[in-house]
Amino acid sequence: MNTIKKFINRRECTSIIFLIALYVIVGLINPTFIQSDNIMLCLNGATVYTICAIGMAFVIFTGEIDASIGATLGLSAAVVATMVRDGKPFTLTVLVAVCIGLVIGLINGFGVAVLKVPSIIMTIGINSIVRGISYVYTGGAWVENVPKNFKELSQQGIAGLSWMYIGTIIIMIAIYMFLAKTKRGRYFQAVGDNEDGATHLGLPVTGTHLISFVICAVCASLASVVFVSRIGFVTPTSGNGYEMKAIAACVIGGISLSGGIGNMVGATFGALIMASISRILVFLGFSSNYDNTITGILLITIVVFDAVMQHRNTEKARRERLSARTETVAESKVVGGNM
Amino acid sequence: MKEKLKKFYSKFKFHWEYFLVMFIIIEVIVFGTMNPKFLMPRVLFGSFNDFISICIIAVFMCFVFITGGIDLQAGSIVGLTSIVIGVLWKTLGISIGAACMIAIIIGCLCGALSGFFIAFTNVQPMVITLGGSFLYSGLAIAVSNMSNTAAYLGISGFPEYFTAFTKKRFFGVIPSQVLIFIALAVIAYIILHRTKYGREVFLCGINRRAAEFSGINTKLIVMSTYIFSGMAASFAGIVMTSYLGSSKSDFGSDLTMPIITAVILGGTSTLGGKGGVVGSALAAVVIGIMRFGLSMNGVSNQYLDIPVGAMLVIVVAASTASKNEKINAFMHRHLTFKHKLTDK
Amino acid sequence: MGARIMLENISNGKTIKHEDTLLSVHDIRKSFARNQVLKGINLDVSEGEVLALIGGNGAGKSTLMKIIMCIYRQDTGDIYVGGKKVTSSKPLDAMELGMYLVPQEPMLFPNMSVEENIIVGFSEKPGELHKRLVDLLKQLGWEMDLSRKALTLSIAEQQLVELLRGLLRNAKLLILDEPTSALTFNEVESLFKIINDLKKKNIGIIYITHRLEEVFEIATNVAIMRDGIITLNGPVKDFTREMLVQGLLPPDVKENKQAFKSKLPDYKNLKPIFSLKDFSGYGFKNICFDVYPGEILGLAGVVGAGRTELATTIFGKDSVLGGKAYLGMEDITGMSTAKVIENGINYVPEDRRQDGIFKIGDIALNTSCGSLKKLGKFFMNFKVEKQFTDKYINDLHIKVTGQDQLIGSLSGGNQQKVVIARILATNPKLIILDEPTRGIDASARGDVYTIINKLKDQGFSVLLISSDMEEIVQLSDRVITMFQGCINHTFQKADINQNNLMSAAFGVYEDKKEGAKI
Repeated sequence: MNTIKKFINRRECTSIIFLIALYVIVGLINPTFIQSDNIMLCLNGATVYTICAIGMAFVIFTGEIDASIGATLGLSAAVVATMVRDGKPFTLTVLVAVCIGLVIGLINGFGVAVLKVPSIIMTIGINSIVRGISYVYTGGAWVENVPKNFKELSQQGIAGLSWMYIGTIIIMIAIYMFLAKTKRGRYFQAVGDNEDGATHLGLPVTGTHLISFVICAVCASLASVVFVSRIGFVTPTSGNGYEMKAIAACVIGGISLSGGIGNMVGATFGALIMASISRILVFLGFSSNYDNTITGILLITIVVFDAVMQHRNTEKARRERLSARTETVAESKVVGGNM
Repeated sequence: MKEKLKKFYSKFKFHWEYFLVMFIIIEVIVFGTMNPKFLMPRVLFGSFNDFISICIIAVFMCFVFITGGIDLQAGSIVGLTSIVIGVLWKTLGISIGAACMIAIIIGCLCGALSGFFIAFTNVQPMVITLGGSFLYSGLAIAVSNMSNTAAYLGISGFPEYFTAFTKKRFFGVIPSQVLIFIALAVIAYIILHRTKYGREVFLCGINRRAAEFSGINTKLIVMSTYIFSGMAASFAGIVMTSYLGSSKSDFGSDLTMPIITAVILGGTSTLGGKGGVVGSALAAVVIGIMRFGLSMNGVSNQYLDIPVGAMLVIVVAASTASKNEKINAFMHRHLTFKHKLTDK
Repeated sequence: MGARIMLENISNGKTIKHEDTLLSVHDIRKSFARNQVLKGINLDVSEGEVLALIGGNGAGKSTLMKIIMCIYRQDTGDIYVGGKKVTSSKPLDAMELGMYLVPQEPMLFPNMSVEENIIVGFSEKPGELHKRLVDLLKQLGWEMDLSRKALTLSIAEQQLVELLRGLLRNAKLLILDEPTSALTFNEVESLFKIINDLKKKNIGIIYITHRLEEVFEIATNVAIMRDGIITLNGPVKDFTREMLVQGLLPPDVKENKQAFKSKLPDYKNLKPIFSLKDFSGYGFKNICFDVYPGEILGLAGVVGAGRTELATTIFGKDSVLGGKAYLGMEDITGMSTAKVIENGINYVPEDRRQDGIFKIGDIALNTSCGSLKKLGKFFMNFKVEKQFTDKYINDLHIKVTGQDQLIGSLSGGNQQKVVIARILATNPKLIILDEPTRGIDASARGDVYTIINKLKDQGFSVLLISSDMEEIVQLSDRVITMFQGCINHTFQKADINQNNLMSAAFGVYEDKKEGAKI
């Protein structure tokens, strides 16, 4: 019973329940929604968001934020689309995309971890710069005529579920194990949970921050490959707002912005919820314009709820500690015995 | 040697506003040289029309930053204001003046909602205002659906007296928008630097706990800064609607970054406690002139964000790096090492 | 490496061989900018030894510890661990050499489990570490739920986790930084038991404290730091309390035993200006006492007795669980901070840096912030602000270069005076001072005492909360001691001495006179 209770208390569970409830409710209103091919479409449609959310989760986990992945995705998508259109080999294209993410991530990481620029400022600035660079690259034009076989990559899959999504989930599980079980993986949570404490123990704080920003940017550039394949063309504003969606996905999935709380699984479900909302709106006959509104309300509600709960818990703990002081001598526990 | 550098640097920082003024002058000279038309007063002052929104919102958003917060929703409130005016006037037949009043109240309410959560529930300002930006831009779209025009067309056909007041030029040169901006900046200055309320804003930003021990109602103060920010966004929305003669729900959507850049460039620290209206106003002008000057010289609109973004990053990086002990120690060792060499 | 190096210990002429000692520091000097913090420190710690390191704030203790742990680098001087010279600026190296610093505030990761907190940073496999940890716990005879999340632990439990971190690293030298400052009485006893266990295992301990009583209870050796030098060093049995106190004072200031010549208030004919009746809150229960006009009421007790919690609850910063508080005729129970100040109570916070000063603000801002209402209805009246800031600068002899000087650049003593000035500017009837001279050098301390006595002469009432027993004895007209959240004794002037207060604070006072209460 205890383990079940523990499971339910985990934040990820709340988002899973929410997701299931969402689908059930919509399914009741419009049964075509919960047919398997539609669900597959939802999952596939969440691929880009999921990859972005996973990368963003690294950064948020360590207590920072990355507001630049939208521009990174846009620039990378433009480059990928151009290369693919011009017939360059697939591997080279992906490699170039990764390099773009690598460079941007390193710059972000350097500014935040070494120069100690607040991450929100650094990434907002880099966002504008990279967006500008992608304009320079594309000359302000759309990149179209992506070859058909490239576009089909995102359609291929099994039982309607695309390989890209499956691959993403597999990688996500691997990352989850890495973060939870390996020595270096724990560093991320440690740095986010208590950075001073991590420094005190001699953990590589600067390196951890740097790596988290690099991973985030590389995820964005990998997501761009999927993006180009799925959408088929790139505009100068492609990717705009994706950082907000990724942050929302993480927050909805139980990752706390203060760092140290949450995990990849939650981020994945959060991304799924974000992606599902747009489809749901269409299904229910609403304009997809309300997408943003719903996301905003969701974000605010969850974050406020989260903060209130946390505050309540810390207050409770503080008050319990204080009240323990007024216990009589006989009642107090002797430390070093049972705890 | 290091003493001299330190003294020079502290003087330098102290007169940051002078540096900004100097920067403006340099910009004018450089752009003027590249394109003499730039120097024509009509053109130079007219440039303000482009970036006036940034200026108006920046001088009030610095209140938020001084308390250690951040506001990402101002851009959305601009659009919401604009479309509300349009819909109220066109579809509901309310007079323009009343519509503007209602729009301002809505802007204040938007700010108040986020401000309430930030002040009373300990959430991070960045996330709430992020959510707010989604919410209010979504609401703007919802409102625009209440009218019969398509969103991308916007509502137009406003009465002459409404669109005229932002197009007027005093002495044939100075646009009325400049005067509006100056008036608002003066009001913001008085509120922040000359009233007890403004002093309390600073106190909350420098040390919120100490402010509470001094009997200041920090929650109300923090919430009020977001109300001011929302109100300023409404003002900007009204001005923009009037000037462009059109009411669209996506006005202001790209303003968030330049506004934040202006506030930070103006000397306001993200940690709170430092900053001011003058700096924010000057910095907004710096950014506006830079964008205008570059576009006059053939740089197309989309590339304008690069120098602005670069400025933001460089300024903040230099400021935090100079305070970083490790970097200072590194420089110190480097300098003394050189000394040792020359001694021997 | 194996060479025998003789070291002259400056303080008492002993010569020490490096290789027999766990840790030996020799002539350590360190400056930050132009501020010389360490002026030539020599210290040794051997196996099984508990070296108590005493010193006031600013003496340089934490800087020295950070240098030992390779967080900072010394300017000159050497560190020897087990006879080998150490030069590094990475804390990891210090830990690898077998040293571990248990910080004053435990730095755990709240959302990770106890076990994860302990093993993070190790290179071995988690499975192996788990086994080693379980063995270690068995060895020590402790029971601990390794899966608990760190945020549910009490401070004492958190300290244990920090200790375990050091022990699992096979630390041979543990540095405990003020370990008892946040512990209750029972927890302190438990900690001492653990330290004795560690002594038997030949682990060396540097025990930083400002509590002289603990030195005699737990330490084998003692060293006193003052102003960056060691003034006293040797086995505990060679010293008495008075000698230790002498070591703490600067040479030109004698221990100020002068009792300020002030009258006791006329208790028989005066009504109390402030009363608490069965006042209960978080951290204290059923508090009843009165404060009379023109009196200084000392409130003594150890850290954790509940005094600060009492003060902050009166001041409106926490909920009242029961009882009443009266200021004159007004019932001020549960009033908000602003209203409490308006009614006439003000509070000088315990943590000056965190709650007291506006660090990047100037003197005028810091002085006026509590009385903004007086400066005009809507607009700030800068002239009035300047005038009364000047008044307080003069009255309290605050050393400043001008009203626009940033408070962060003042000395601790002058900062405190500014905070006091701000409190006084609100014209309170009752002033609550919480550790008013913590972190202040001796001469500024004298100034603050003079100020407090002047306040008393002018008819203000002062509630003086302090852990410094001498301070309480010197200044108070009456003293109340709190123990574990309740008042356990009230002392009249005649009975106020350090012995009585100390015993009462530790809950061991025996009242020889029955029924003598107020």
